[in-house]
Order: sequence, then C-alpha cells, then structure tokens
Amino acid sequence: MMQPQQPYTGQIYQPTQTYTPTTSQPFYGNNFEDEPPLLEELGINFDHIWQKTLTVLHPLKVADGSIMNETDLAGPMVFCLAFGATLLLAGKIQFGYVYGISAIGCLGMFCLLNLMSMTGVSFGCVASVLGYCLLPMILLSSFAVIFSLQGMIGVLLTAGIIGWCSFSASKIFISALAMEGQQLLVAYPCALLYGVFALISVF
Amino acid sequence: MAASAAPAGGARTGAGPEWSGFEENIQGGGSAVIDMENMDDTSGSSFEDMGELHQRLREEEVDADGAAEEEEDGEFLGMKGFKGQLSRQVADQMWQAGKRQASRAFSLYANIDILRPYFDVEPAQVRSRLLESMIPIKMVSFPQKIAGELYGPLMLVFTLVAILLHGMKTSDTIIREGTLMGTAIGTCFGYWLGVSSFIYFLAYLCNAQITMLQMLALLGYGLFGHCIVLFITYNIHLHALFYLFWLLVGGLSTLRMVAVLVSRTVGPTQRLLLCGTLAALHMLFLLYLHFAYHKVVEGILDTLEGPNIPPMQRVPRDVPAVPPAARLRATLLNATAKAVSVALQSH
Repeated sequence: MMQPQQPYTGQIYQPTQTYTPTTSQPFYGNNFEDEPPLLEELGINFDHIWQKTLTVLHPLKVADGSIMNETDLAGPMVFCLAFGATLLLAGKIQFGYVYGISAIGCLGMFCLLNLMSMTGVSFGCVASVLGYCLLPMILLSSFAVIFSLQGMIGVLLTAGIIGWCSFSASKIFISALAMEGQQLLVAYPCALLYGVFALISVF
Repeated sequence: MAASAAPAGGARTGAGPEWSGFEENIQGGGSAVIDMENMDDTSGSSFEDMGELHQRLREEEVDADGAAEEEEDGEFLGMKGFKGQLSRQVADQMWQAGKRQASRAFSLYANIDILRPYFDVEPAQVRSRLLESMIPIKMVSFPQKIAGELYGPLMLVFTLVAILLHGMKTSDTIIREGTLMGTAIGTCFGYWLGVSSFIYFLAYLCNAQITMLQMLALLGYGLFGHCIVLFITYNIHLHALFYLFWLLVGGLSTLRMVAVLVSRTVGPTQRLLLCGTLAALHMLFLLYLHFAYHKVVEGILDTLEGPNIPPMQRVPRDVPAVPPAARLRATLLNATAKAVSVALQSH
C-alpha cells in the first residue's frame, strides 16, 4: 500500500553524520577510520604480485613495463624462502648460500644493467625481477626432493628450467628498460646466476 | 653552530647550572635553536664527537635522575623535553653528515659510468668475436685490430667460474680454508686481471703497442677456448681426449693471441719474450684447471659402484646392500629416498 508522498526533509547535497559512536565504546582517536588498509600501507598489492607471477610462468606472455618497474620485495622474499624450504626438504640446509648468492647476483646484475642500458635501473627493481624469476627454480628443487637430478633427465630438466628463468628475467628487463635487440646479452648473465642456484639444487 | 636568543651561561659548572640556560629558552618562549657553544669541543661533523656528545647526554640523564627529587615538577619536565629534542637534533645532524660523506665517497670511487662505452655491444658482434678468437690470423706486418669491449671477456670469465664450480662439485672437492665459490672466482678473476697486468707490463718493457683495455679484452676472449675444453673434459673423463683438446683448442686460442701480439711488437727478442710468456701462462693455466680438480674424480670412480652416486651419503655405514632387483630404482631415487627404502626393507 503506497503511502502519500511526503516532502523530503533531508539534505541530499550535504552529507549528514549517520554514524554516532556510542559512549560505551572506547575512543581510539581520529586516525583509526582514516587509516589505509594494512596491505596498502605495507605496499603489498596482490593483484600486481599475481600479474608478475603469471608473467614469469608464461614464457610467451608479453610483459607490462609499468608493472615491472615497481620495487616489490614481498614476492621475491617469499620465493627465496620457499626455495630454501624445498632445499631443506631435500636435506640441504643452505639458506646462507641462497642469501649470499642472491645478494651478490643482484649487485652484479645491477651494475651490468646500469652499464648496458640508456636509462638507469634501481637496485630494488633488479632484486624484485630476479626474485620473481626464481619461481621455476623452486619447481626444480621440489623435484629434487624425491628424484635425483644427476642423471640425464636431471641434466635436461635443469637446463630447461635455467633457460626458462633467464628467458623470463631477460624479457622483463627488456620491457622495463627498453633495450631492444639485447635480450640475449641480458639473458646470459641471468642464466649464469640461475645456473649457480641450480648447482645448489642439484648437488 | 647556532647561537641562542637568550644569554646562556658560558662556563660549565655542573649539570644544573648548565641546563638552566637552556631551560630559560623553553620557558621564556625563546627560540627553538640550540646553543651548541655550551657543549665541549663538538663540531658536529665527526662521529667521535657525536659519540662523546651522546655519552655526555646519557651521563647528564643519570645525574638528572639522581637529582630529580630536589627539583620541581615543572622544571624537571621542561628539562626532559628539551633533552629529547636535543638528542633528536643531534641524531639528525649525525645522519645528515654521514649521508653527505657517504654520497661524496660513492660518487668519487664507485662511478662505474666510465666503463659504460665498453659495454655497448650487439649480440651479433659478441658472437663473431667469440668465433674469431679461435682463428689465428697470419698477418703480422700491420697491427691487428682488437675489439676494446669488456662485456664478452667479463661474461667469459663468469662462465669459466661456473664451469669450474660445476667441475669442483662433480669431483667432490673440499676446500678447507674458504669456499668453493670464493676459490673459483678468485682463480678466474685472478688469472684474467693478473696475467693481463703482467703481460701489459711486459708489453711496456718490450715496447709493444697495446693498451690495458685491449690486453684485458684479448685475454678475456682467449678464455673461450678454456671454457670449451673444460666444459667437455669435466664431463667426459678421458686423459687422451683432454690432451688432444688442450693442444688443439688451447693451442688455437693461444696462437690467435700470439699473432696479435706479434703484429704489434717490433724486434725478435721482444716478440719471443712477450709471446713465449703469454703462451706458456695460457697453456699451463688450462693444464692446471683440469688437473687440480681431477684426481678426486678418479678416486671416486674406482671405489664406488657407479658415477651417479651423490657425494654426500647420509646413510649409516652398516646398511645392508641394495638387492639387484632394486638397482634401477636405486639410481633413480636420491639419497633420502634410498635410505628410506633400505630402512623399510630391513624391517
């Protein structure tokens, strides 16, 4: 049953306060509701992380240069820890090696890319990209938990995974730094770095 | 340092009188600027002085706490608040000074931009230079051209490091004082930089026309032969094969370098000295790299049952032998799985 139209007495163009805190609730201060969400404050953007992970996992997917230029170390940190954990499952307690090699490798790649590119590159970007492209290496080390990698199958698998990692890394670097035609020159040092990681996994 | 608005006591007579000068600043609505003249010999630009300052601040705090009951509440609060501000400003100045010094040192010593032109290469150029490093050119009457780039040589040195590391791992080398990685990097970079410098010095004595960059590039590309030989012979352990490759591949890359140097040197004695030294060092290095990590491999092959046994065995010594039926499985699974299977069989 429709009621007769009543005149609107509200103020549609002015916001009215509809939430009145009850006196029984403790008062946290003005900042509590104005704070950004925790993940945003920490700089962890799950959508970008997922995009970057997909870019690494699909070798033929074109990389988006703008996303790649962000310095996001949350994903790489998780991947390094996962790599160390899978090595641990195989009986190799080598977190120190992973840390040392990744630090030195990132430094080396940073120097090389700064020398080779027209625009410079930040250390965070290099560390982030190299960390993301470590993901296929985790597959290799988890394979090594059960099966030995020292036969012919292991050699082929290792070579394939190294190629995959370095191809993804060079693809992302090329798109982020606009270095056309030098993909092989960027891929080779990445292949050497991931080869050392593979050496840790295999032996 | 900044001067204060209110006249502060110049002499230090103790904790109380000294701080009262600053106290006047706060409560008298004075400026927020600190008068550093009251402090002892601190210029604010050296860490030792800052450390001394911090130490003094801590001592004052201890003294102030000890004398707390003698002071009024308002005074005490004012002093504490100001000390907090003082220490904050001091910490900020320390940080600024440190940052300035660090950035100055960095821009002076770590300026790698001077190496930028030597890394400007195309993949096709690198490929052709790699192939040319194995082909000696017989023309010695005119100076032969040397590509002055560092990307190829650097990558080849790193490749040699990786191959060496792989060889050390397969031969189960144990380095007692140091790490495998450190030894490999030290050996390869030491050879590249050390021998280049030595040959450059000899070239200076023999009046040869070669620059340090060219020598680095020449020797770097000469390591391509070493990489090939070691890559093959660390995986196929045949002495005869190694000697053949040593002479053939090593000899070709050495001849190439020798031809370049001969074309740039005048006089038979000088040529002999320079090229003989380089040839000897280059060939002996390859010999050393092969045999330094080789003995252990033969030892393992003689005593163990197969080439695919991983070097680290974590099974106990009195484990019963794996039955022949499971031999295929034994080579496929790794040490952990094998230990588990043997343990299950024995129970």
